[in-house]
This record gives sequence, structure tokens and C-alpha cells, in this order.
Amino acid sequence: MRTTARVVVPIILVVAISLFVEGHNLPGGGFIAGVLTTTAFALLYIAFGLDFLERGILERDVEPGKTPSRDRVVVAYRRVFTFGLTIAVGSGLVPILLDLPFLTQSYVEFDGVPLYGHVEIASALAFDFGVYCVVVGGLLTIISAVGAE
Amino acid sequence: MSPELSVVLAAVSVPFAAALAIPMLHRVLGERTGYAGAVVALACFALLGSQYGADGAVELSWIPSLEIALRFYVDGWALLFAMLASGIGVLVFTYSPSYMHGEDGLPRYYAALLAFMGSIIGVALAADLIAIFLFWELTSLCSFVLIGFHTDDRSSQYAARMAMFVTVGGGLFMLVGLLILASVAGDVLGTAAVVDLGGSATTFDLAAILENPDAVREALREEGLFLPVLGLIAIGAATKSAQVPMHFWLPNAMAAPTPVSAFLHSATMVKVGVYLLGRLRPLLVSHEWTLLFATLGLATMTVCAILAVASTDIKELLAYSTASHLGLMVAGFGFATFVGAEAGAFHLLNHALFKASLFLVAGIVAHEAGTHRISDLGGLRHDLPVTAAVAGVATLSMAGIPPFNGFYSKELLFEAAVESVHELGTLGWLYVAVAVFGSIFTVLYSLRFLALFVGDRPTGLGDVHRPPVTLLAPPALLAGLALVVGIYPDVAVRAIVQSAVDATAVESHAMHVGLPTSYSPALGMSAIAIGVGGLSYPFYGRIHDGIRSIPAAIPPVSANWWYDAVVGGLTRTSAWLAPRVHNGLLRTYATWTLAGTCALALAGFAATRALTLGELGIDASPAIALVLLVAVVAAIAVVLSPSHIAGILTLSILGFMIAIFYILASAPDLALTQLVVETLVLLIFLFVIEEIPESDEISLGRVTRDALLSLAVGATAFVTVVVTTDARPDGLTETARHYVENAVPEGGGTNIVNVILVDFRGFDTMGELVVVAIAAISVLTLLVMRGRGEAE
Repeated sequence: MRTTARVVVPIILVVAISLFVEGHNLPGGGFIAGVLTTTAFALLYIAFGLDFLERGILERDVEPGKTPSRDRVVVAYRRVFTFGLTIAVGSGLVPILLDLPFLTQSYVEFDGVPLYGHVEIASALAFDFGVYCVVVGGLLTIISAVGAE
Repeated sequence: MSPELSVVLAAVSVPFAAALAIPMLHRVLGERTGYAGAVVALACFALLGSQYGADGAVELSWIPSLEIALRFYVDGWALLFAMLASGIGVLVFTYSPSYMHGEDGLPRYYAALLAFMGSIIGVALAADLIAIFLFWELTSLCSFVLIGFHTDDRSSQYAARMAMFVTVGGGLFMLVGLLILASVAGDVLGTAAVVDLGGSATTFDLAAILENPDAVREALREEGLFLPVLGLIAIGAATKSAQVPMHFWLPNAMAAPTPVSAFLHSATMVKVGVYLLGRLRPLLVSHEWTLLFATLGLATMTVCAILAVASTDIKELLAYSTASHLGLMVAGFGFATFVGAEAGAFHLLNHALFKASLFLVAGIVAHEAGTHRISDLGGLRHDLPVTAAVAGVATLSMAGIPPFNGFYSKELLFEAAVESVHELGTLGWLYVAVAVFGSIFTVLYSLRFLALFVGDRPTGLGDVHRPPVTLLAPPALLAGLALVVGIYPDVAVRAIVQSAVDATAVESHAMHVGLPTSYSPALGMSAIAIGVGGLSYPFYGRIHDGIRSIPAAIPPVSANWWYDAVVGGLTRTSAWLAPRVHNGLLRTYATWTLAGTCALALAGFAATRALTLGELGIDASPAIALVLLVAVVAAIAVVLSPSHIAGILTLSILGFMIAIFYILASAPDLALTQLVVETLVLLIFLFVIEEIPESDEISLGRVTRDALLSLAVGATAFVTVVVTTDARPDGLTETARHYVENAVPEGGGTNIVNVILVDFRGFDTMGELVVVAIAAISVLTLLVMRGRGEAE
């Protein structure tokens, strides 16, 4: 189980990122990438237990076997979805400064970028990143809270 | 001269702004906050005064695309009412600090009082039906807070709830009336200031409606909506202005501190109903109008005057008297002649002057003598000479004795009643008789109130202190004004009453009042009322006891009994119902919520006749059919599964089949999402499910109920899908085509779903993000912080 997780989790994360990046042109997008990332984390939880992330990766001390409390729920998750919401709203507010309606989106195309050739950056990517963060943060908060029960 | 938008806007908003600042002011000023309130009220009064003579509408555009604007309408009638509110506001704020000395919760008191003043000015000046309704209900809300000022006192709570229940309930009836009016008027006016709401034109612009009263009235009649509108607005006005049989809340509202009673429950709030009648009078006046409001007003005038005689408490007496005088105004506006409008408008002013003064006097008496029982009081002129003089002027005015100001407006009412005889015949004579009969009791209770100050002091009455000047000056000023109006009525008429009458009357007419120089029927009626009232005063005690014995013998005669019966019945029903819908078991909540949703959805389809089931062609490839078949089998297996875990695992088969269905139906985005979400949901379910106990034997009844509910939910979902996809035209809709064509040039992406999500419908996505965030926060709160509440 743990071996599988070690192999699969990076793959899931990479797939999620690629889904996110090419979401504008191929199937994918912020929402689905977010949900996929969450499954990667969920897999980690199942394979290594609830405290693994805190102890193994963030190197924080957690008393094992404690009753569900605030510190078993990774605080960063909450920050992530607050952050995401801020990005989404913020990206919507930028057009207002430019005297365009709320949430107006645009895009720029670049040609001749090394390695990729043709790259297109849509301003919607920022909004989509907000979506991604909210989904990841929100779902992980829910899963870690429910899981801690 | 046309009004200034900025000044009008300031007059309405300054009190609200001041109300917000009250808590801070109270820190600095302490008990002297009331004087700050007086300054605010004075500022409003001055602002309104600067608009004196203005006539016309101004508006501040708010949401132009919906034609929603803050519209204000200034004319004599609006100014009379608004200036009355702010002017009496000045006096009440001056009076309050001494009266409310040492009470707790003063910031709340002053903030509510200021907000109330702003709402009243708002009602007076608003020219938008919605704005009128909002300000109207705001006054009820402020009144609720102020009546319930003594939050620990049970009678205060009871009275506050009653006032809220009656006036807000009435306001809702009025809202329906106003909406009907708006929709009919929109069809008639059909020009500017009309919004298109779902196919029918609607206008909320009262100024525009009042410019074409005849056309709107004709349209109302043609559609058969005249009587409903009239009746609904009458209910709103009658509850607010304490008309029979909804008069009972007003005496109970006397649980409020006396300055509140003077301000809200005599001078301003209760007159909002009368004000609205005056405002809509040119629009709705007709034969039915006269029948309804003349009858209602005169009945109130008489019944409440009789009840005032039966009162044992000075504030109760004044409260019933207020309701009785409100009846007089309603009756005045009820009569279609211009004399009627004159009676209503003039009495609005007169009554505010003498009744606010009397309430403030009653406050002084209660404050200095320590009691407000009528039988305990007497001979107060020895202790309170100035107060006695003030009370004398105001009381004689209330009784309608010449040459005090109440006399003139009452004469006008009698005149209107006499004139109605030509039109209504016998009914007109009945109006005349009832008006005189009610006035006799008015004279009686006025004399009784006066008797508090003359005669001998009862032995039980203790030391009575002299009131400070801040308590005495406000009622003295009001009584002084009443005296001036009494001696020079033409001055008041020229100053403001004439323009108020012009705004409320159908035809304009130069108004003249003065002491009568020759005999007229109205004069005779006044003479009878005063004479009989004076002669029967020696028998006051017996009349008082006689009236009191009636409701004691037959409780259903009193309106209060009905209120208690209805509210008590509702409370019992709720107490019986609550444990059945609301028993803390999740399945009960689910049952009621789902059943309610299904019933509403199906009823909605039935009401709009959307349930036209066309042929349901089955058009599926073998692959899709197979997938769906597996899904159905899985669904059945879920129901039959022996344990929760097995059930959930089987349920996920259903989910994955749907994902495959999406793939077959060439919707990769949906399939991807469905797959991942299904996995996550399965996971969360597995986390949670261990907590749920395995079910025991369930009774057959419950199984049947659950099965029926599930069938209903399934049927609703099925019908909804069929109905909503039934209307789909062949090929792409216009919206779909627009998205397809514009995805690349405007959004710069070839994944239409994503482009729609982030570019075209970004706002919806934003809303969904907020939902996700809220869900996460709720889960956190419910699960993680659950223990904390119990620990504390």
C-alpha cells in the first residue's frame, strides 16, 4: 500500500498540474485539478496515517492518539482556501481598475518561447488558480476534519 | 419651487447616521446623549424647513437597469408630517434625559428613537411604493424595540410582541396591495419609470401614479382589483393606526417609557396609517372608500372613546383617546368632500400638538407623583401649577371646546358628516349620530383627565416634586402652539395646512376656519356633544363601572381576548408540531425536507402546466443501455445490502457507471470530474459510516414511508429532467452557439467548458467557490469546534 502510494502520488500530482495548465484548451481545469490533487493527499492519509503530513513533511510535533482537535487539522489547508478565494476575487477586481466589468478575462499569446514554441497565457489562469486553491483547501479541510474523527 | 435632492436625502439619512453614532456619543456624553439627539432632530427640522413651499419629486438613481431609484416626493402633506415628526422629536429628545435618568440601556433607547425618526421622515417623503413599505416596517421595528425597552418585564415583552405582530402583519397585507397597485399602474402608465418584470410592466413610482389618478383607478376597476387593493391597504393602515378591531395593541404599547408613547404612539407612528390614507386619497377616493373609511373611522372614534372612559390608568386613557382621535382623522379622510380632507389634515396637526403635550404631562405626573392610577391622583394643581395650566389647554383642546384648536378640526368633521347626508341619505344620518355620540365620551374622559388637577388631593398621594425645566418646557411649548393655533387658526392654515389639504383633496378649495358666527348643523352637534358630556359628568363613576362590567361578563367582546386566543392557539399548535418535524434525528429532517421539496417542485410544475408529457422515445446505443442497466442493478443492490459498508461500495458502482455513461456520451470533463469526485465521496463516506450504528429491525410502517418518499423523490427528479429537457430545441440553442463561436476568439481557449466556467460565467463560478469555502468552514465548525461549546 505504502509503496504504491509512493509511486502513484507524484504521478497524480503531475497529472493534476498538467490538467490545470492545459485546462483552457483540453479537458481539465482548476476544479478537476483541485479534486485530483485532493485524492493524492487522501491516498497519503490512508497509506501513512493522519499525522504523517504533519510529522514527516512539515516536521511538526503532534501528540499521537490525541482526540480530534484543531492541530490535527493542518492549518495550512484553511490558509489555502482563504488564499484561493482572495486570488479569485482579486483577479476579478483587476479589470475594474482597468475600467472593465468585474471578472473580465483576456489572454496574450507568445510565439517562439524556447521548448514550447507557442504559449498562450490567459488571464483566466489566475482565476482558475483561485478555483484550484479553494477546491484543494476546502476539500482537504473537510477530509482531514472528518478523517480525524 | 422644486425640492433639493441633497437636502431631502440628508433629512432622511442624518437620523440613521446619528443612530449609528449613538453608542460612541453615549460614552462621551453619558445621560446627556438626549440633547445630542435633540440637535439632530433640530437639524432635520431645519433641513425640512428649508424645503418649505417646495412641491415635486426628486430621485437618486440606484439600479438604473431595473428602474429602481430612491424617489422622494415633497409637498405640503409630506412636509407637514415630516416636520411634525422632527419637531416633536426635538422636544422628546429634550425631555428624555431627565425622564430616563438612571435607566440602563440608554444607547439602545436613543439609537432606536433616532432610527425611528429617520424612518418616519422616510415614510413621509418617499415616493416609491417599495421604499414606503420599507420605511413603514422600520417604524414598526423601532416601535418594537422601544415598547420592549424594559426587556426583563413580562408585560413589556407581551406588549412589544403584540404591537409587532399586529402592525407588521398589517404591513404585509399592505405590501400585497401596493404590489397589485404597482402592477396595474405599470400597465396604465406604460412609459418611463416602468420596469419589465417577467412580462408585465410594473411601476413603483408613486409620484407618477398620483399624476394620473383617474386612469389608474379606471384600470383597477376594469381588472376587478379596485376592492382588493382598497381592502389590503385599509388593513395596513388600520392596523398601524389602531383602528377597530385592531385598536387593542395601542393601550398595551403604553408599557413603553412615556416619551416614547408621546412620540411614537400618539404623534407620529400611529399616524402613518392616516398619512398613507391622505396620500392615496386622490387615487382611491370613491363611494366604497367613503363607506369603508367613514364607517371604520367613526366606529373607532366611538368605541375607543367609550373604552377611554373605562380606563383606570392615565396612560391607558390617553392611549384609547389617541385611537379615538385617529378614528376621527380616518373618518375625515373617508368623506369624499374637501371638508373631509380638511378635517383629516388639520386634526393631524392639532392632535399631535395637544396629545404629545398630554403624554408628556402624564409623564411628569407619573415621574413626580410616582403613580399613574387615575383613582390615586387628584388636586395636582397645588403641587404642579404650571403643568396644570399646560394640561388644561391641551385637555380642553382634546375635548373640542371652543376656542381651542381641537374644536376647529372636529367642526370640520361634523360638517363633512352633515354633507354626507346629501349623498348617502339614512347612512349619512347614522354617521352624524355616531359622531356626536362618540364626541360625548370624548368630552367625558377629557373632563376626567382635567379632574386630576382640580379638586382635593386624595389622602394616599405622597409628596409631589416640582418637575425640572427640561421636563416642563416641551409640553408647555406644544400647549402654547396649540393655544396659538386655537386663537389664530387661519395662521396655521395659511402656513401649512392649506397645502397639505391640497395634496390630499381631490379638488382644490380655499380653506377657512374660525369661530362660528352663525348657527350651522355642525355647531349644533358640537353643542350637543359638549352639553351632554358636561351634564353627564357627575355620573362618570357609574358610566365607568358600567362599561367595565361588559367585557368582564362576556370576554369575547374585547379584541384583546381574540388576540390572546389566536396567539395562544398558534403557540399550542407550534408546541405540538415542533417535536414532530424537529426531533433531532437526521432522518426526520431529511424526510420533511425532501417531501417538502418534492411537493413544491411538483406543485410548481402542475401550476405552470409544464407537465405535458410528450412521447418518451428511448434512444440509446447498446453500450449505454448496458451501462445504465448495471447502474440500475447496483441501485437495487444498495437497498438490499446487509451492511452500511457494503451499501456504500455498491453505491459507488452506480457512480462509476455514470462516469462511464458520460464518457460514452462524449463528455470527458464531466466523466473525469465524476470519477474523481466519486472516489473522494466514497472515501469520506467510509470515514463517517463507522460512526453510524447498524440498523435494527425497522417497523413495516417506516419502511413503507421511506419507500414512498424515495419513490416521490425519484419521480420528482425524473419529471424535472423530462420537463426541463423537453423544451430543448433541435440542434444547438442560441446560447450554446454563442459559446461555441466565441470560445476561441474571446476566451482564448478551445475547452469550451472551461472557458464558460472562467470567462463567460465567471461570476457563477465565484459563487460556487464561496459555497465550497462555506462548506469547509461548516465542517470545521461542526466537527472540530464541537467540543468547545460543551466544555464551556
